[in-house]
Amino acid sequence: MNHETVPDRFDPWPPGIQPDVPIAGYPNTWTHTPSQPLIRRPATRTEATFPLRLHRKLPCGEANLAEPIPGRPAIGQLMHLAGRVLDEDGRPVRGAVVELWQANASGRYFNPIDQRAAPLDPNFVGNGRVRTDEEGRYAFFTIKPGAYPVPVKETWWRPPHVHFSVIGPSSLSRLVTQMYFAGDPLNALDRILQSVPDEAARQRLIARDLPPAEVGDQWLGFTFDIVLRGRHATPSAP
Amino acid sequence: MSLPSSEHTIGPFFPRTLFRDGDNDLTIAAEGAAPTTKGEVIILRGQVRREDAVPCLNMILEAWQADAAGHFDHPLDPGRDRADPDFLGWGRAWTDGEGRYEFRTVMPGGYADPAGPRAPHINIAVMGAGLMRRAQTTVFFPDHESAHAVDPVMALVPPPLRPRLVAVPGGTQDGIRVFRFDIRLRGGPDEETPFFED
Ligand SMILES: [Fe+3]
Repeated sequence: MNHETVPDRFDPWPPGIQPDVPIAGYPNTWTHTPSQPLIRRPATRTEATFPLRLHRKLPCGEANLAEPIPGRPAIGQLMHLAGRVLDEDGRPVRGAVVELWQANASGRYFNPIDQRAAPLDPNFVGNGRVRTDEEGRYAFFTIKPGAYPVPVKETWWRPPHVHFSVIGPSSLSRLVTQMYFAGDPLNALDRILQSVPDEAARQRLIARDLPPAEVGDQWLGFTFDIVLRGRHATPSAP
Repeated sequence: MSLPSSEHTIGPFFPRTLFRDGDNDLTIAAEGAAPTTKGEVIILRGQVRREDAVPCLNMILEAWQADAAGHFDHPLDPGRDRADPDFLGWGRAWTDGEGRYEFRTVMPGGYADPAGPRAPHINIAVMGAGLMRRAQTTVFFPDHESAHAVDPVMALVPPPLRPRLVAVPGGTQDGIRVFRFDIRLRGGPDEETPFFED
């Protein structure tokens, strides 16, 4: 990691970006979300820092989810998903650990917790972990996930989405989020996406489609940039 | 300038396959690496519960702490050069069917921060289904009361809540001191664990 790009300033979250909780129709948010006021604390060294060599503990490099074993492709629409991890100054976050997990094409996770009747794909586990490069870039080759119903009394469907976990250079910039696909009618009904109050913030969770001219005609292409909190104390040159 | 991406829940399906044995053992920085030789090895364990004291299974906990001498291998630590090269300071655990988690680590050192003298502590982030944002708390350790009294983070916690941030001695296991730190995500004002803004 290039240490000149480690942020040392963390502004408060701008309004409208963080989800509004608890969420109607998502009962777990009513039973798990702390009810007492959160305590504001200064960013001491423990809050401002984070492991810069985490790839020692969490091996990175698993980026091909669609065909991890040659000749045994997963079922679904192949997709190339790439983007950059940036800080609030738009600077690349180098060496960040990016974890991705998702449902298979029928909307089921390869996870014993997911006991839905939808079929499992023997060739799709659906998770990977990479490290961003010098430009903050990451990339995965996977398949487009399916939608799945949420097992609550008044069921709603999760639109196709991809889960991301990003571990950057500060504990204050630790981010777990989800990515969505443009134009899916389930997006407007998704209680999780819609819990983000600001329309522009919701739009930033939607991947950008790339035209076949850029990605070729073998798979879908999407770009998804992730912005972590934090900026440099010294203003950057314009 | 860019605006930060929204946080979302980690959900119930964070893959077991992204965990490896040893992820919750902070004394080992990498698979196959020799354990750190600096500091007292300890076990930190507890139970995560939600409203009505129901245990939460499959919650993800991440720990972050200074090394035994209070240093971080990070450019924001002026003592970085003295950081323990065999200690990463980070670990991840998940809760079992009874909501229990466990970390093996070393007793963190306190350090002098511009905000004030930090007592030994471990920051814990809890993620899971129903938590749209991670819940962040801090574990302090008994036998450091004088350090707690001047800790700049503890100072912001209302006095009646402070004992809830101090781990409880839980005996020893194979000669290693055990500390218990239970986390109540949601409960009445008399039960809930204090959590911090980020
Ligand atoms: Fe999901």
